[in-house]
Amino acid sequence: MLKPLRKINISKVILTILPIITIIPVFIQCVNGLHIGGINTLINFILSAFQPSLDKNVIESSWIGLQITLCFAIISWVISITVGLVLAIFSSNSLNEIIGVPEIITNIIRRILTLPRATHELIWGLLFLQIFGLAPWIAIVAIVIPHSALIARVISDQIDKLDLKSLISLKYITPSKMQVLITALLPKLIPILATYGSYRLECAIRGATLLGIFGLGGIGTEMQLSILSLKFNEMWTSIWILFFAIYLFEKALKYLQNPRFYFQNIGIFSLIYLLFLVIALATSIFWLNVVGINLFAALNIHLFNISNSTNMLIAITSLPWFKLIFETILLMLLASGIAIGLPPILLMIFQARYSGKILSIFWIFCRLIPPPLTTILLLLCTNPSISVGALALGIQNMGVLGRLLKQNIDNQNTSYFDVIKSTGTNSQLAWLYGKMSHQSNSYLSYSLYRTDVILRETIAVGAVGGVGLGWQLRESLSSFAMEEVLLITATFISISLIGEMVSEKLQKRLLKKQGYDEVQI
Amino acid sequence: MSNLIEVKNVSLKSRTSTRIENINITINIGDHIALLGKSSAGKTTLLNIINGSLRPTTGEVILYGKDISECSNKTKQKIGSLWQDLRLVEELTVGQNINCGALGRRSVGWAIANLFGQIDYHECAQCLSAVGLSNNIINSNVEKLSSGEKKRVAIARLLRQECDLIVADEPLSNLDPTLITTILKILLGEQHDHSLSIAPTSIISLHRPELIDKFNRVIGLKEGNIVIDSDTKNASKIEISKLYC
Repeated sequence: MLKPLRKINISKVILTILPIITIIPVFIQCVNGLHIGGINTLINFILSAFQPSLDKNVIESSWIGLQITLCFAIISWVISITVGLVLAIFSSNSLNEIIGVPEIITNIIRRILTLPRATHELIWGLLFLQIFGLAPWIAIVAIVIPHSALIARVISDQIDKLDLKSLISLKYITPSKMQVLITALLPKLIPILATYGSYRLECAIRGATLLGIFGLGGIGTEMQLSILSLKFNEMWTSIWILFFAIYLFEKALKYLQNPRFYFQNIGIFSLIYLLFLVIALATSIFWLNVVGINLFAALNIHLFNISNSTNMLIAITSLPWFKLIFETILLMLLASGIAIGLPPILLMIFQARYSGKILSIFWIFCRLIPPPLTTILLLLCTNPSISVGALALGIQNMGVLGRLLKQNIDNQNTSYFDVIKSTGTNSQLAWLYGKMSHQSNSYLSYSLYRTDVILRETIAVGAVGGVGLGWQLRESLSSFAMEEVLLITATFISISLIGEMVSEKLQKRLLKKQGYDEVQI
Repeated sequence: MSNLIEVKNVSLKSRTSTRIENINITINIGDHIALLGKSSAGKTTLLNIINGSLRPTTGEVILYGKDISECSNKTKQKIGSLWQDLRLVEELTVGQNINCGALGRRSVGWAIANLFGQIDYHECAQCLSAVGLSNNIINSNVEKLSSGEKKRVAIARLLRQECDLIVADEPLSNLDPTLITTILKILLGEQHDHSLSIAPTSIISLHRPELIDKFNRVIGLKEGNIVIDSDTKNASKIEISKLYC
């Protein structure tokens, strides 16, 4: 008689590291594809970091590019935070009873938001470019649409996880819903806005830089022009300027994220936050005018003929769908493996205080260079392949996950680590058992969410790296085959939605949601 | 004495269990009711039905002559609840939490002003001193207080609410004996500061049968049914002890 198979039970700490095995095929393929001069190009690029161009014109154009990118990012951030917050309140399952929104409306809003959320800002940007031509507001709208939907989703999920019993109790003291929301919800929302809201600003900066690479202006355009002309030192001028800007932003936002600051006086903090948003919006619009960008220029609409059913059928049959979808998913899996598996390993190896600081700077650099540019850079050294895109995408997302993991581990109680260390265990193992094991659940859960983001970002990397749906979208857009564009977009949205669903289910398994003992009215 | 609340034939059942069954109680103005019963006898369920936070599967709760589900929020706020888990807004200060009790009588503008710090300081200080806490903590964050202090802040919020009926779920649990006497005196209106409006009526669940002398009525629940409902003077100690068997 056959023995029943034993259930394999892999520890969650190992699961955080295991995805790194994807780096093996990526590495082999990239090394195999290395062409003559490739390594020299890479060395040149790295050395240029220490010799950025100090030419007055280069610095000036990078500086103007940075101002444009920051203005685009700030405007889209303010709008998406505002829109996202309102949508979050109306789409929260816990709040619908309190604010009196019928459940059906909540569900409809949640469902509608999945579409803009699943569509990457680059798709919006490229589509608007085709329809309206080059206009500065396209970058803003392209960021606002997916970011608002994403913010709405994340904040409404956070609200649903909150203990809202104090909110329910106030409902029995006052008939005014507004009073209940202001008094009991706002103080709970402030920490979310202070932390997640500020993180979204960084995402908006990344989004604006990325759109610049695809011709929408700003420092992204500057970087792309420099890399295409192999002027790495000029590119590094832009990178350093962007690095210092992001570093300063991070420092300023860290102050805003300090609980001591916002819990000291919730009212004053809310007012400061509101004023900050209004002033940031007004200043950015004004500043764009100063650098010669007119946001309110007249619209030029180019309508396309979309389409009769025969053209649609041709589009369906002419494209290699299986290959495109397979490449996209494989790109996501390989990039996710690198992004998830490397940060714990690096943090485990480099534990000393100074190496921790170096790692923090390294994470910033990883996040700083948009994946399409890393892809172009890698393509100067090696042959085009899925691995090139995966490496580029993996590096940037590793920066995001690495920063988060380091932050959480730094804020963690060290007593468990000390106990294990006191048994004579070496630092690396003590770190794994005493620190990482307490973070593995939340790290895996966030990694699953990140995988979902990586899937959406494959469109940008694919467009440059010649793989998957991203590449095909770019091809079809340049040949004005709008039926193909429609079909590719729909396919990509469907894949993103399925990815989101799978990631959500796995996340739920990892983090059991806390529920109330009884359903109260 | 006139009726404040009537609980008529109230039951709460789920597919698998019965929480309370066919409960009939009339609470008159001036009643101070001790609600006794062992854990999971249905005390919290009954209190939540009385304060309107749970809807019974059958029966009705009449507040001031009207079904509670049809009462305006203005009427419902005449019932002040002291929840077992207190439900303070942990992110706010003591003073801001106490002021939450007055939200029903104030405007949205006042609610916003409350978030900015000291507002109606005198009234908050009065409520704090009524519960035996120092004014020094008025600007402290609630999350930094001990559980006994939090409980008293929740009672101070109740005092600020100026309600007609106090519905308190185990307010005396985890407190030292001195604090028990103080809190009971406040809830029963015995420690009376004349400038504060203290509810003349209360229903309080507790696990301390020796304290029922402080009340004028006792209700005993066993497995979701009322088994005792009498004046404290007439309540049989044997029957009360049977509640815990």
